Amino acid sequence: MKPMPSILKVLNWLTGAVFAVALYLVFFYAPREAVMGEVQRVFYFHVAAGWVGALAFLITAIAGGIVLARGDHRWDRVALVSVEIGVVFTLINIVSGAIWARPIWNTWWTWDPRLTTATIMELIYIAYLMLRQGIEDPDRRARFGAVYGIVGFISVPLTFLSIRIFRTIHPVVIGNNDPTAEGTFDMTPKMQTAFFFSLITFTFVYATLLWHRLRLQDFKEYIEERKMQALNT
Amino acid sequence: MLLEQGPASTINYMIMGFAVILGTIALYIVSLRVRFQNFRKDQAVLDEIED
Repeated sequence: MKPMPSILKVLNWLTGAVFAVALYLVFFYAPREAVMGEVQRVFYFHVAAGWVGALAFLITAIAGGIVLARGDHRWDRVALVSVEIGVVFTLINIVSGAIWARPIWNTWWTWDPRLTTATIMELIYIAYLMLRQGIEDPDRRARFGAVYGIVGFISVPLTFLSIRIFRTIHPVVIGNNDPTAEGTFDMTPKMQTAFFFSLITFTFVYATLLWHRLRLQDFKEYIEERKMQALNT
Repeated sequence: MLLEQGPASTINYMIMGFAVILGTIALYIVSLRVRFQNFRKDQAVLDEIED
């Protein structure tokens, strides 16, 4: 196992510092929303978690394209670890949204187009992780993962656009709201600062986790290789 | 009318929301650490076998 690179150590501290600032902005700098009250603060990290999910699945699709074009297995590792992080953050997005919805929509869950497409997207990528494990041959596994990652990515813009295409009660943060949307609010400049800083913060969190998870994957493959050698001797 | 009454009391939901968000991120970091440690143990066993 290679020692942790200095840049990664710096990134760890930087991400921690940026995260602390984001928490300050969310809890103390951004004002309390006039109608929804304190629960509206969940919105900043709820959207940021959704953003990380979409970004992670985009990276998976791009890595898949590189695998197919060059046959480079290192990018298959990137695709795999990015899906794992994307699944975690999409889960955070869905569950925190349900908690916000309880006092605002008076229900934990409704089969609204946004909630439905987000859930389908999550299930598509959970299936990616499960199906990969069933393929022994590394070449076939990498090709399967690449094609799945590219085709599965269709679910990401569909989820993003669902509240803009279909009639929905889910608020639209950027752009015009559906008149039937419930829980909408106008962001003040301070709220906008907290919102965009949260997006940047979660991008840092994603980059840091991706790097650590890639190192873990390299270590795992190294150990598996050594185990195979030990069995064959 | 709502504005006259002030914001709704939703602090419990906010606490629940942040517990889920921060708790899940913390759990994921712990899972990475545990997996690292398990592979280090495997590595130590492999080193012992090879010696």
